[in-house]
Amino acid sequence: MAATTAVRRRRRGHGSPLRMPITHALLLICGFFWVYPMLWAIAGSLKSDSGFLDSGLGLLPHGTHWHNYVDAWNGANFSAYFTNSVIITACTVFFTLLFASMAGYALARTNFPGKKVLIGVILVTFFLPRGYTIVPVYDIINQLYLLDTLWSVVLVQVAGAMVFNTFLFMGYFRTVAKEIEEAARVDGAGFHQTYFYIILPLARPMLATLGLFSFIQSWNDFMTPLVFTLGQPHLRTLSVGLYAFISQTSTDWTALCAGSIISLAPIILVFVVAQRHIVAAIAGAVKG
Amino acid sequence: MSTQATERTSRLHRPTPTRRRRRSRWQNVKENRWSYFYIAPFVILVAVFTIYPIIASLGYTLYQWNGIGSPTAYVGLENFRKVLHDHIFWRSFGHTFLYTAVLVPVQLFLALVLALVLNNKRMRFSTFYRSVYFIPAVISPAIIAVVFQLLFSNFGQNIDSKLMSMHLMHKPVDWLGDPHVVLWVIIGIGIWNTLGYNLVYFLAGLQTIPEDLYEAATIDGAGVRQQFWHVTIPGLREIGMIILFLAILGSLQVFDLVQVLTGGGPFYASSVVNTYIYQEAFGGGFSAAGGGGGASVQPNVGFASAASFFYGLILLVITGGQALAMAYMRKRRREMNAAAIEEARL
Repeated sequence: MAATTAVRRRRRGHGSPLRMPITHALLLICGFFWVYPMLWAIAGSLKSDSGFLDSGLGLLPHGTHWHNYVDAWNGANFSAYFTNSVIITACTVFFTLLFASMAGYALARTNFPGKKVLIGVILVTFFLPRGYTIVPVYDIINQLYLLDTLWSVVLVQVAGAMVFNTFLFMGYFRTVAKEIEEAARVDGAGFHQTYFYIILPLARPMLATLGLFSFIQSWNDFMTPLVFTLGQPHLRTLSVGLYAFISQTSTDWTALCAGSIISLAPIILVFVVAQRHIVAAIAGAVKG
Repeated sequence: MSTQATERTSRLHRPTPTRRRRRSRWQNVKENRWSYFYIAPFVILVAVFTIYPIIASLGYTLYQWNGIGSPTAYVGLENFRKVLHDHIFWRSFGHTFLYTAVLVPVQLFLALVLALVLNNKRMRFSTFYRSVYFIPAVISPAIIAVVFQLLFSNFGQNIDSKLMSMHLMHKPVDWLGDPHVVLWVIIGIGIWNTLGYNLVYFLAGLQTIPEDLYEAATIDGAGVRQQFWHVTIPGLREIGMIILFLAILGSLQVFDLVQVLTGGGPFYASSVVNTYIYQEAFGGGFSAAGGGGGASVQPNVGFASAASFFYGLILLVITGGQALAMAYMRKRRREMNAAAIEEARL
C-alpha cells in the first residue's frame, strides 16, 4: 500500500513526451544486456551439445532439449543438492525468525537486569575488528560432532544472522503499542501467550521481510555449506554442488546451464512474487 | 502492573541498605525469568559463534599454526610483523582499494541516473525496469561464476569473436586468465552484481523528497536543471552519505565474487585481501574448483588471523572516519540551518 501511494507521490516528470520512447528504448536495450547472461544460460540449458557450440552467443535454441535438466537432476545429483538446499534454507529461516523474534521481544519489552550490559557487549562486538573467525567456528562444530551434517550449516547460518535480525525485531516491537499487551495481560494471558498470540501475529510484516532476507541469504550462501560439508559430497547445497560440477565436467556445458537455472529458479520465483515487498524492505533498511 | 514497576525502580534508586537492594534485584531477576529464557538461544548462539571466535582468533595471531590440533608454536607478534612485510598482502590490499575506488563511483553514478529516470512520475513500467536491473543482486555468486565462466570460455562464436568482428579488439582475450585484464573484468561483474541495491536505495531517497519543494521551485521559475541541483541533490545528501558508506564498506570486504570467479588468480593478479587471507588460512584446500589462485600454500591460521585483525583495524579507521565526517557534516548543516532561520527571523 505504502509503495503505491509513494509511486503516486512521485515528482512531476520533466522533458517532453517525445523523449519518452527514446528513454524506453534505451532502458529496454540496456536492460536486455543487463540480464543477457541469465537469458543466455536459460537458452543454453535448452540447447543440444552441438547446438551450444554452434549458436555461441545466440539465445534461440534449435528445438528444446529438456533432457539437459534430466541430466543435471539425476546424473549430476542436483536432486540431492536441491533437497539439501531446501532443508537448510527452511530450517535456517524458521530458527532465525523464532530465536530473533523471541530475543527481540524480551529485549524490547522487559527490563531484566543485565539487559544494558548485553546490548553493550553486542554493540562492541559489532564494531570490533574480526579475526579469522571461521577457523574457531569450524573447531566448535567439530567438537560438537556436527561436522559434515546439514545441521552444522543451519547452526552457523542462524548464529550469523542473529544480531542483525534481533535488533530489527527489537526496534519493531518497540513501536507496537504497549496497551495491546497490557490488555492481553489483563485478560489473563501469560508471557508466552502474549508472545505467540498477540505479538507474533502483529509482527507479520517484519516476519515476512526478515524471512525473505534470510531465505535469499541462506539459499545463496556459498562459503558456509562449502566449508562444513566438505567431506560429504552428498550433503552439498545447490551453490556448492554447482560449483563443484564446473570442475568435474569440462564438457557438459548444457547440463551446467540447466544446473544453474535449477539453482536460480526458486530465488527468481520468490523475487517475482514478493518483489514489491523485498524492494520496500531494502529501501526501509537504508531510510531507517 | 506498570505502577508497581515504577515503584520498584524508584525504590531501587533510593539509597537502601545493601542487603535489601540485593534481594530486590534477585526478585527482579526472578520476575523476569521468562525474559532470560527468551534471550537464551540468542545469547548462546552469539556467545559461541560470534564472541568466542573473535577472542579465539585473537589468540591464534600469536602462534605459528597450520590449523590442525592445538596451536603450540608461540611466536608472539611475529605474525603481525610478517603481515606488514608481506608484499602479496599489500598487493591484495591495493587490488581491494582499486576495486573500491573504481566500483563505487561508477556504480553509484549509474544507479543514481537510473533512479532519476525511473522515479519520473510519467515513466510507465518503472516497476518492471526496476526488477530487471535489480535481478543480478539476488543471484548467488556460485551461479554468477558458472555463467560468466561459460560465457567467457573459448569455444564457438563467443564474445571475443563478436568484439573482433566489430573491430573493438584485435586478438582474443582470456578474460579471467589474463593478469592485466582479470581485475577489471571482476570490477565490471561487481558493478553489475550489486547495482540493484543502490538503485533501490536511491529510489527510496528520491521518494523522501517532498513534492511541494519541486512545485515551489517551479513557481519560483526554476528549470529542470536548477531543480536537480537545488532540490534533488540537497534532498539526497543525507541518504546519499549512507549509500556511499555502505558501498565503500561492502566493496572493501569483497570476497565471494572474487573467490568463485578466480580464487584470486592467476598468480594473485585478482587477489583481494579477503581471498588472500582465506588462502593463507586454508592453503587453498577449501576451494571446490581449485580456483587457480597462486601456488598452493601451507595453511597458516596464525598469519591469516593476524592479517584479518590488521585489516579489520584498517576498516575500523576508515568507517569510523567516515562516520565522524558524516556526523560533522550533519551538525554543520544543522547549525547553518539554524543560523539561516535566525537571520530570517531578524
